[in-house]
Amino acid sequence: MTARLAWPRGLRARSVWPRGSRGRRAWPRGLRARLLVAFVLVTVFGAAAAAWSSARSASTALAAGAERQFVETVTNQITANAAGLTYPPGQSTLDQLASAVGADTTVTYQNLRSTTGPDSDLITDAIRAAVQHGDSLFVQRIAAQGRPWLIVGTPVVITSTTGTRTPSGIQVYAVRDLTSVQRQIHSLTRSEAITTGLALPLAVLLALVAAGSVLRPVRRLRDTARRLSAGDLDARAVPRGADELADLTVTLNEMAESVQTSMAAMRRMQDDARRFAADASHELRTPLSTLTAVMEVLAAASQEMDGDARESAQLAIAETHRLVQLAEDLMEVSRFDAGTARLRTEDVEVGGAVRDCLRTRAWTDQVELSAPGEIWSRCDRRRLDVIVANLVGNALRHGAPPVRVSVSGAPEQVWIEVTDSGPGLPEQVLPHVFDRFYKADEARSRAPGSGLGLAIALENTLLHGGELTAGNASGGGARFVVRLPRGREDT
Amino acid sequence: MRRARWAMVAALAVVLALVAGCGVTPTGVRAAGQAPGGVAPGPTLYFVDSDRHLQPQVRPTEQLGTIAEALSLLLAGPPADADLHSEIWGVGTVQVTVTMAPGVIRLMAPLASTDVTAFGIEQIVCTALGVDVQRGGARSTKVQIVFTQPTPESDTLRTCPLISPAG
Amino acid sequence: MIIEDDPRLRRGLELALSRLGYAVGAAGTGEEGLLRLQESKPDLVVLDVILPGIDGFEVCRRIRAAGTTPVIMLTARGDDFDVVAGLEAGADDYVVKPARPSVLDARIRAVLRRMPGADGDVREFGELRIDTSGLTVALRGGQVPLTPTEMRLLLTISRAPGRVFSRQQLLEQVWEHDYLGDSRLVDNCVQRLRAKIEADAANPVYVQTVRGFGYRFGPV
Repeated sequence: MTARLAWPRGLRARSVWPRGSRGRRAWPRGLRARLLVAFVLVTVFGAAAAAWSSARSASTALAAGAERQFVETVTNQITANAAGLTYPPGQSTLDQLASAVGADTTVTYQNLRSTTGPDSDLITDAIRAAVQHGDSLFVQRIAAQGRPWLIVGTPVVITSTTGTRTPSGIQVYAVRDLTSVQRQIHSLTRSEAITTGLALPLAVLLALVAAGSVLRPVRRLRDTARRLSAGDLDARAVPRGADELADLTVTLNEMAESVQTSMAAMRRMQDDARRFAADASHELRTPLSTLTAVMEVLAAASQEMDGDARESAQLAIAETHRLVQLAEDLMEVSRFDAGTARLRTEDVEVGGAVRDCLRTRAWTDQVELSAPGEIWSRCDRRRLDVIVANLVGNALRHGAPPVRVSVSGAPEQVWIEVTDSGPGLPEQVLPHVFDRFYKADEARSRAPGSGLGLAIALENTLLHGGELTAGNASGGGARFVVRLPRGREDT
Repeated sequence: MRRARWAMVAALAVVLALVAGCGVTPTGVRAAGQAPGGVAPGPTLYFVDSDRHLQPQVRPTEQLGTIAEALSLLLAGPPADADLHSEIWGVGTVQVTVTMAPGVIRLMAPLASTDVTAFGIEQIVCTALGVDVQRGGARSTKVQIVFTQPTPESDTLRTCPLISPAG
Repeated sequence: MIIEDDPRLRRGLELALSRLGYAVGAAGTGEEGLLRLQESKPDLVVLDVILPGIDGFEVCRRIRAAGTTPVIMLTARGDDFDVVAGLEAGADDYVVKPARPSVLDARIRAVLRRMPGADGDVREFGELRIDTSGLTVALRGGQVPLTPTEMRLLLTISRAPGRVFSRQQLLEQVWEHDYLGDSRLVDNCVQRLRAKIEADAANPVYVQTVRGFGYRFGPV
């Protein structure tokens, strides 16, 4: 019974954690590894994004600052000097303005032109065109000669006393190398990358801590589930916090609770059934004992009776014996059901035991026994006798003689084969042959059995850790094979 | 697994964006404020015509010059050939001290308030303000004339009817 | 004498055994049985395990303490606890209910049969003296009271000192059981015998255990 009440085999055999090969690629399978990777990815991406955006805004600000400063310088230089310039200007005026604005400056007025540096080639046509047609200051960033440059181009305007602005025809272009700004931005980026890199071990550490905090309750749950599946129904996990895992823990505990409750109920029912069987056995046994005791007196007396009275007495005697047998079989079965059946093993010579079994029941001349040599096995002598007696009895009742019993042995096993020469077991009977009270051919049986014999034989075989199979012999008769494990250690 | 591949693609995209976002990128031509001014064929001086109207007159000095220079030219009087006169008296070629304060041009001329008419004061105010505007100053700037003897007139912040914005 | 609480079964057994030629007395409780035991001094007691008041084991223990009257217990089949407890209490044999009178008769006969030695000799082993005609045993000159079963066991194995008897052989020769006999009968009887004749029951001299096979007498 305990085996029947145990957890389903699959549940016990399967581990709580899938170890199977689900992922085809090297995607981490463990929950911890997955959490770790996900956490690190998120952290590093987050850090990188933050670093990137701050580096970008910083570099934008740097570039813009450099640009503003340069524009301011140019504007201020022009404004400061313009009032002192001759207008319309001559070449010297242009030179004066160009040198005032600084290096790499070109000043043009109609066909006149003054340049203070070699890089005036960098001035693009686009900015020229813009300056030509507009009255505001223009900037453009370009990359040339492998370096970034800033170009500022502006017309110089004439402001009237009322504030009206008209181009004076003087145009100023200034070029500035932005390499230093570029370098600043690069060093900024590098430091951000390093910061991001430094976030990595920190992220791993945090991920480990987080994974641990997530996995610890999971592991506790697993341990609890393992103990539960191993049969320890008192196992409970203590829910901590108020998260989903705590919910799961509570649910698991509830499940264990309900399983435990139903197991307890089952066990109570089982105990009740066992007690009932014991009570019934005692209550039945006493009247049956009385009947048995007086039946022989009655049998002796019936010899002197005549006709119907004698037959009635003999019928009563026969039926009493049958009733006793039936009650004994019922009690035997109920003991198996209650799980109280125990093996009492000793060293038994199987061939001899089978022979003794046949001899005590006076079956020797109806049964052919083939038992070559001595085959010792460790088993329960009485139960072995029950098995053989039930199988042979069944064969004698339902099959046809000759009934053959053969005993054979291997180092680990003993086989007892019982074959009769009848028509064999019909196909539809085979699955039910060990069912209790199943009788396939009630009408044809010569002597009535209890209907429990084969079930008892099967239970006794299983108690030994063996197996009992029913089938048909090649010759046509029914064939039952008992396999018993042999040579258990002395206890 | 598909998810892993997506993660790799995303990571690559982020790294690329990161790399691309750094450094000085070339741009198109952008406007970046007002063009500077300040060049002029000469300062504008204000005199009074025969109809007692204030008249601007450009003095072609080939450059704008400073407020002080313009005021010197003003105090020196109108050109002889023009039908204009100045209503500032008693001075010849004098140096005017110009001090710039936020929103205010303060002039210290060697003049008494009695040396000028209201037109004379406007001549001075408009000439100074005109040069300031041409040099890039705001038209709303006020002008204060500090006279030699103490007078409440010295504290007045004045505007030029031809230049200052109405109101 | 029969000690059985159920009046019908008691009467049934009484009838059956009387018919087989026994003079039968019966008692309904253990107390009554013990009282009657002193008066009638029966040759043998058939004792039910389950009794009101003091149970069968206790009755058996008291009978054993009082003398050498053999006891056959009536037990329920498969109730191993009853069997073991009954044997430890000193029962000579047991019969599983429902018991056929013929089976009971055979057991009673086997228990009562003392099997005197063929030649009626006197065997002496060290301090132990066995008179096979008088069926007495003396240890260091003092008489040792043995139950018929203990006596028969001792006679059986002392007939061939040094020879190993398997439990199965002893069951068949001493208890006259068929092949389904319970070897615990032998073990329990050996223990009781040792308690009576051995100086140190834990290190027996006369009845020695041959592990895995059975018992042998001596060598002394």
